[in-house]
Amino acid sequence: MRGSSRVLATPSKYLALAVYLVFLAFPLLWLISTAFKSPQEMALIEPTIIPEHPTLDNFRLAFEQQPLARALLNTLIIAGVSALVTVLLSIPAAYVMARYRSVVSRMTALWVLLSQMFPFILVIIPLFLLLRDAGLYDTQIGLIIVYVVWSMPFALWMLRSYVVGIPVELEEAAAMDGAGKLRTLKDIVAPLLVPGVVAAALFAFVSAWNEFLFALVLLRTPELQTISLTLVKFIGAEGVARLGPLAAAALVATIPSLVFFAIIQRRLVGGMLGGAVKS
Amino acid sequence: MRRATIVSAAVLSAGLVLAGCGSGDDAGTGDSGDDGPVTLTFQSLAFQPESIAANQQIIEQWNADNPDIQVEYLQGDWASVQDQLVTAFEGGTAPDLIHYESSYLQDFADRGWILDITDLVPDEMNDDILDGAWEAVTFDDAVYAVPFLLDAQVIFANKALLDAAGIPVPAPDDPWTWDEFAEISKQLTDADTYGVAWTLKDPANRMLNLALNFGGGFFEESDGASTAVFGDAEKEAFQRIHDQLYVDKTAATDAIGMGGSDPLPAFFAGQYAMLPKGIWFRQQIIDQAPEDFEWVTIPALEGDSQAQAAAPQTISIAAESEHPEEAMAFLEYMLNPENQALLAKGDWMIPASEAAAQDPVLTETPDWAVAAASGEFLEQAPFQRVRGYEEWKNKVANPSIEEYFANSISLDELGTRLTEDGNEILERYNR
Amino acid sequence: MSDTAVAAKPRPTQRKPQQRRTWLGLDRDGLMLAVPALIPVVLFSLYPLLRGIYLGFTDAQAGRAATTEFTGFENYSQLLGDSYFWESFRIGLIWAFGVTILQFFASLGLALLLNQKLRLRWLARTLALVPWAMPPVVIGIMWRLVYHPNAGILNSVLRDLGIIDSNVEWLSSLSLALPAVIVVGVWSGMPQTTVVLLAGLQSVSEELKEAAAVDGAGPLQRFRNVTWPALRPIVTAMTTLDFIWNFNSFSLVYVLTEGGPGGSTRLPMLFAYEEAFRYGNYGYAAALGNAMVLVIGVFVVFYLRRRYREEG
Repeated sequence: MRGSSRVLATPSKYLALAVYLVFLAFPLLWLISTAFKSPQEMALIEPTIIPEHPTLDNFRLAFEQQPLARALLNTLIIAGVSALVTVLLSIPAAYVMARYRSVVSRMTALWVLLSQMFPFILVIIPLFLLLRDAGLYDTQIGLIIVYVVWSMPFALWMLRSYVVGIPVELEEAAAMDGAGKLRTLKDIVAPLLVPGVVAAALFAFVSAWNEFLFALVLLRTPELQTISLTLVKFIGAEGVARLGPLAAAALVATIPSLVFFAIIQRRLVGGMLGGAVKS
Repeated sequence: MRRATIVSAAVLSAGLVLAGCGSGDDAGTGDSGDDGPVTLTFQSLAFQPESIAANQQIIEQWNADNPDIQVEYLQGDWASVQDQLVTAFEGGTAPDLIHYESSYLQDFADRGWILDITDLVPDEMNDDILDGAWEAVTFDDAVYAVPFLLDAQVIFANKALLDAAGIPVPAPDDPWTWDEFAEISKQLTDADTYGVAWTLKDPANRMLNLALNFGGGFFEESDGASTAVFGDAEKEAFQRIHDQLYVDKTAATDAIGMGGSDPLPAFFAGQYAMLPKGIWFRQQIIDQAPEDFEWVTIPALEGDSQAQAAAPQTISIAAESEHPEEAMAFLEYMLNPENQALLAKGDWMIPASEAAAQDPVLTETPDWAVAAASGEFLEQAPFQRVRGYEEWKNKVANPSIEEYFANSISLDELGTRLTEDGNEILERYNR
Repeated sequence: MSDTAVAAKPRPTQRKPQQRRTWLGLDRDGLMLAVPALIPVVLFSLYPLLRGIYLGFTDAQAGRAATTEFTGFENYSQLLGDSYFWESFRIGLIWAFGVTILQFFASLGLALLLNQKLRLRWLARTLALVPWAMPPVVIGIMWRLVYHPNAGILNSVLRDLGIIDSNVEWLSSLSLALPAVIVVGVWSGMPQTTVVLLAGLQSVSEELKEAAAVDGAGPLQRFRNVTWPALRPIVTAMTTLDFIWNFNSFSLVYVLTEGGPGGSTRLPMLFAYEEAFRYGNYGYAAALGNAMVLVIGVFVVFYLRRRYREEG
């Protein structure tokens, strides 16, 4: 595999690429295929790849049997608010990180690193107790706070690199005109940050949309639950999974994050590598 | 200008916290306040569509008749219910009424999470529900739940294959013995078909049940503390199933890891002739069987006896509930004989109510006689009142029994784990 | 949330402090800007973490009348004698190493392919990113469908190819479940790794490669002498972080097997989760978390040392 650049003849490269394509795509195709199959077709001994009698029944059943629409709406709200609050809090902080040579900046950078490494269990038990004592257990607000705090490191990281990219002279000019720092941030820096803000917000959104463990512990009431929790419920009692509706629901749940992800994909990749490649 | 920004930033932070206090209005243990109607939350674990419908129908009727006590239906699920309840009790947001199973209630009672309802249970209900079921929810002379649905281990069989082999369906009062069952499994096994498919995913509950056929109790109690034991009586059922898998080769080894409806395609295709399952599984078969598929319910097997554990599904009242009397009033209605019959039919199980068992709603369902006969042999099993049973079952029993049936550990090793590893866990609870 | 941590060096554009510093090197404006973000971080991330570490030294329990007492190292002596704990760490290490290493090689191969002008490259690029965007729960469900003994596509394909005779229980077989979930782990983590490696490959100077080619170096040698040295710092950082994330992994395996069969996929996080939220042993679960920190700490130290050395 190594040094394949010119060692392997082109056909073997295509063969390798084909293997990758199958590995990457097949599970997806199967999910889609299952979502469109009737229970009778599911029970066949020889599974079919392309449903012989494609049906939308599974989607109907998925929405009927589980509060899927409610869960989608909940997740949309939770992820949306989390994303919004995350960037609102992160913009000024990222500015400070980029422009001040302060202990706080360095501590924050360290925290960005460490927060990625601790096992969640250490955080989630105390968070559970903390939110309970604050009356925020089993509320969407509680979960939003947690999501904000946990997507902030990455948002800070991304935004900081955007701030760094803005020539400091612009701000100095504004300062000479007598603008305070906050005003400079608002009038000069913030507009230039828009692409970064969009990327950070969408990233926070997708993270929250996809999250499972915090939601599992911190939400209980069915009406409040997020899509991941609802999907796990589908798996159901004694493993009696109704596979068709399950697949249909899973498919529906993926669409929003897929769309948003497609939008930010380039920026995310770029932002992520900004530091890595240069170091 | 600057001031405004600072203020808004601060407000944003604080607002997050403040906003939280106002939310979550429809979560938790219902409304307090004396004037308005009382709202009770009821978390149900019903999962078969028919059963969910029965639950909702009962609640709608109640809500229509009782404007002062409104019941709100919450949908729980068996897969995550233990974790959900533990966090809910700890988080102070437990539902008022909690559907679960008797085996797990001892721990909940010990932790002070569910209410002692001994004095709340009306006499009529007390008389109507089987004594064995009451026993299963009574700990230290205190009743912690109302039992309502019972399951029993039976066997579903492919009628065509039985007929072809000339094997008659036994009557409920003349069940097959385990020996006969082993023999019949052999007769039904050929190149294309396994006589039986034991699906043994998370097998502990079920094995503890079947072991009772040979008097295997698994736990001994002294001074209120339980210890796990594993002697000849406990070994018997294990050995027999293991023999079917690896000696007789009449049981499908590819089915042992299956749970739920996994084995159905092969069952419908005639690859498995018999399928031992809980009586509730009728619903799954009816739901998914091809139209021309003929099946039949074989009564529970007999060892030294037909005994199985009465591990009823139950409804408890949360200790933190602000309206225990109202909750009990609702339970009295929900679990009256007529409604129990509806619920039992919805889940294809056996009602704990004696009157409900006579209801035509049930007696007219397919193979009801087999289900009804189980009422005779369900009895109180030792594992019902073991502190730490859930942890013992989940951490030690399920994994090691799975390993035993996968033929990767010996029966003695299984015994060692169930007792030595097991007792270490139980010790923590007995302190 | 990937590779956020790769580099954190001060930039030359940083402004020289002009105003009077008040606290921690921040003037009033700076403080005002940082505080709204700092408060939630301290309250809901730093504080819980410290309290979590502390809980590991107590007997904290669920229950209405439960009291919490400091018990020192009692939890840890219990952990040492708990065979389920050791088993879970063994499984966790196999999983974390397995996923990280396989993922690295699979991604390196893919990145090398994608770095060339091949048809259908766009398709592979797009597909390679999809797992990144999918909720782990969906990935778990999807692979459950693939692995499903009867209705799954994998058995069907293998049967058609004559590789197996009867259906294999991928996720309920004691010997196959862990490899099966590792494959899913590799699948779901490939995008990040591939993207990082691809970017790394693209940053390798073409001139150097060409110069090496002129000197008569074959492709293998070019890879070893030019590409690999350029790639290595990225690879170290990436695999270290991948390992840590994998060791802390929860959702995917929770959905796939819930730790079964026979506890054969019970990763440390699943074990800890059950301790805390199924059996209510908060203290013991936190102690388990602390033990996980020890393992992770070893890798962080390893990584930092490598990084330090590489930077001279």
